[in-house]
Amino acid sequence: MTKYLINRIIRAVISVVIVVAIVMVMIYALLDRNLIFAADPVFSHQANNQKQTYKLRKWEEYGYLDYVPYAEWLKELAGNGEIDEETRAAAVGFGRTPEADTGVVAEYVEKFTNYYESRGYKVERLNAVMAGRRVADGGQQQLYAYRDIPLSNRLLSYFGNLFQVDNIHRVDGELVGERGLTFTLYDPLYGGEKFSPAIIGNGTQHKYLLYFDNQFPFIHQNLLTLNLGKSYSVNTGVDIFHTMTRSQGSYKLSTVLYPTGHVEQSADDLHTATYAPDSREGSILYESRFVDDYTNVLTVNSNKSKLGFSFTIGIMSVILSYLLGVPLGILMARKKDKLIDKLGTIYIVFIIAVPSLAYIFLFKAIGGKLGLPTTFEMDSTNRLMYVLPVISLALPSIANLMKWLRRYMIDQMNSDYVKFARSGGLSEGEIFTKHILKNAAIPVIHGIPGSVLFAMTGAIITERVYVVPGAGNLLTKAINQYDNGVIVGVTLFYAVLSVTSLILGDVLMSMVDPRISFSSKAR
Amino acid sequence: MEDKNMDLKKFNMTDEELFARVDNTALDSEKITAPRYSYWHSVFRVFFRKKINIFVLALLALVIIFAYVYPLFSGYDRFANLLNGAAKHLTPGAAMEMFGKNIHWILGAGASGESTFDAVWNGARISISLAFICAAINLTVGVVVGAVWGFSKKVDLVMQEVYNIVGNVPYILLISVMVMIFSASFWTMVLAMTVTGWLSIAYFIRTQVIIIRDREYNLASRCLGTSTIRIAMKNILPFMTSVIVTLTATEIPSYISYEVFLSYIGMGLSEMSLGKLIYAAESAMVTPGWGFEFWSPVVVASIITVVLYVVGQNLGDASDPRTHM
Repeated sequence: MTKYLINRIIRAVISVVIVVAIVMVMIYALLDRNLIFAADPVFSHQANNQKQTYKLRKWEEYGYLDYVPYAEWLKELAGNGEIDEETRAAAVGFGRTPEADTGVVAEYVEKFTNYYESRGYKVERLNAVMAGRRVADGGQQQLYAYRDIPLSNRLLSYFGNLFQVDNIHRVDGELVGERGLTFTLYDPLYGGEKFSPAIIGNGTQHKYLLYFDNQFPFIHQNLLTLNLGKSYSVNTGVDIFHTMTRSQGSYKLSTVLYPTGHVEQSADDLHTATYAPDSREGSILYESRFVDDYTNVLTVNSNKSKLGFSFTIGIMSVILSYLLGVPLGILMARKKDKLIDKLGTIYIVFIIAVPSLAYIFLFKAIGGKLGLPTTFEMDSTNRLMYVLPVISLALPSIANLMKWLRRYMIDQMNSDYVKFARSGGLSEGEIFTKHILKNAAIPVIHGIPGSVLFAMTGAIITERVYVVPGAGNLLTKAINQYDNGVIVGVTLFYAVLSVTSLILGDVLMSMVDPRISFSSKAR
Repeated sequence: MEDKNMDLKKFNMTDEELFARVDNTALDSEKITAPRYSYWHSVFRVFFRKKINIFVLALLALVIIFAYVYPLFSGYDRFANLLNGAAKHLTPGAAMEMFGKNIHWILGAGASGESTFDAVWNGARISISLAFICAAINLTVGVVVGAVWGFSKKVDLVMQEVYNIVGNVPYILLISVMVMIFSASFWTMVLAMTVTGWLSIAYFIRTQVIIIRDREYNLASRCLGTSTIRIAMKNILPFMTSVIVTLTATEIPSYISYEVFLSYIGMGLSEMSLGKLIYAAESAMVTPGWGFEFWSPVVVASIITVVLYVVGQNLGDASDPRTHM
């Protein structure tokens, strides 16, 4: 069993990597990369040559290509000690046109061109754009080399950076005090008197590597973080993992004791502080509150995260559908061809055949007539607003459960063991619950991990129709806004969920049914 | 009741005239007679035995006529009343008052003053065509690939992994990439829905083939020297007819539903299909008096899918030879 599981997990990991590779090819190679600027306000202010370099800079930032301007190359050479500072200063000022280059400039421009062209880069030189005798706005001459990042490098760096372990040499900038880790039993954020162990780092990306607070699960760590990439347009500049898991809604104020001793009503969560180089310089706000450059904090908001909302609704509907679907399926099988079976079949046909959009709208209209809230309000405390989304989400899974459970039970009804049980004098109720159900439920049990895990991804239509601030729309939103980072991140998330739920389903099935064994699979 | 015992004497004939000796050959006595059985004849006999099927079939015919024949005569022009501000968002009553009582206006007028009734059937034509074409392609490819997949263990190993991988590539992403590379036209949508759509059908067929493949009658057939192709065509395919028909019944409505879904999230066709109509009229749902614009395509889409599903399911039941007794 263990050997089989390890084999399965390895194969699952490989297929997840391939899925991510396929998605990367689709979005980085097949889609028009100019589309990412569609929602960028800075881009429309650029003109002439600057527009071109802005594009290349952004493409580099978002992982499309590797971009080296001429000046940067010279700086690097000077940094390595290959040329001295004087030569660098002399070589850096290249002319408005190639003809205007002087001796030393022409020499280094040629070196630059040869060096990068031999490495497969494309070298481009844009002549200055003139408006009369002056250089036009953004029309300065440009010289640079660029190369598309090959898929293999991109995959390697994506999966290489997926898990980041914080360490004391992580940040480069100036620090207050020595690099190192401090372990304290009395967290300074609680005034240094309350017993609350914490590990505080200096030189690490996060200030607090391990701490306790009053939020579930009470112990938190920042040592190992998941880095799914950055969002470009859906949630500009914010990490995708944070986009899904950060709390939303209005600020939740509490009394916060800042490191300088300043006390204020604020929503800042100081435990999330990360390093922001030179952030205190020129900022009175930060200077009065912080003693070091760990100033980048997240806020505490009063509501659940996107994932939280989706999961709450999803898990409630999963529970509801199993609570209703299983007994109804059994009832339909027991009363085969009777009225209840026919009614159930009509319901199943309705749900399968009618477009899901149609019945969700139908239930929204019915619910609205009954006085239930039809839209989700984040800061509302009204629990009734969960009712309609949960019901809408549960309707198809109830139908599905009923359909399959009825089918499996009816298939079992003519088995020999059922006839034997009946001839032994067991009542119909006993036969159904103790014998048939146990056998018929096995394929149903296989689907339980999947339905629980996929409750997290949220439902696209339900969340849109009821305006739920959940994670269901993340993928469609990302696709509509050409946010490549989010697309890859969400795909990875979905793929991991899907392979995990398949493996868990198989394990669960073999636990429930001792006849199923994966160790010696003979077919 | 007639008396069966007749007196032969009243015929006034001799025994030789009345009786002839039946030739009793050994060959004839070996023959086993059975009532004539024709598969498709029995399928339709069983199908029409249920009265509801006649009703649903009539409804299907009506839908097809409205979707394919009616637009030829209706002369539907979406922007004909665009400049007429008074013609927009009308209830059926108001529209008939304005344009006269005829079939075009029984569902009122839409956002650009077009007849909702005509728009719905025009959309239905696009949606039904899309569903039928996609189903035809996916089922053909799916059944053929699924049969090979089920028969060959080597192919099975490879295809299992392909299925795991392709199944995890988000379908919406695939479709949107297609739409961006080509355009949001009808045939792009067909391509997008068929490029991986056959895979799940093939997987389903593979499982069915594996179940039937190793049954005793196939083993016996193989022992007698039947070729694999012949086993597939003559032994297994007839067994799967009902499965394939049932599959078709669920597939065709699912494409219509999927098209509606895609249009709703803004990734659908550029033509005004049913889904696109629903998407365009979404804001009309909550506006009092505009409800017809929104609910008409929703209801028509539901009718079409339910009718297709019920016809297909019952045809699937009827095509199972076990119901032919």
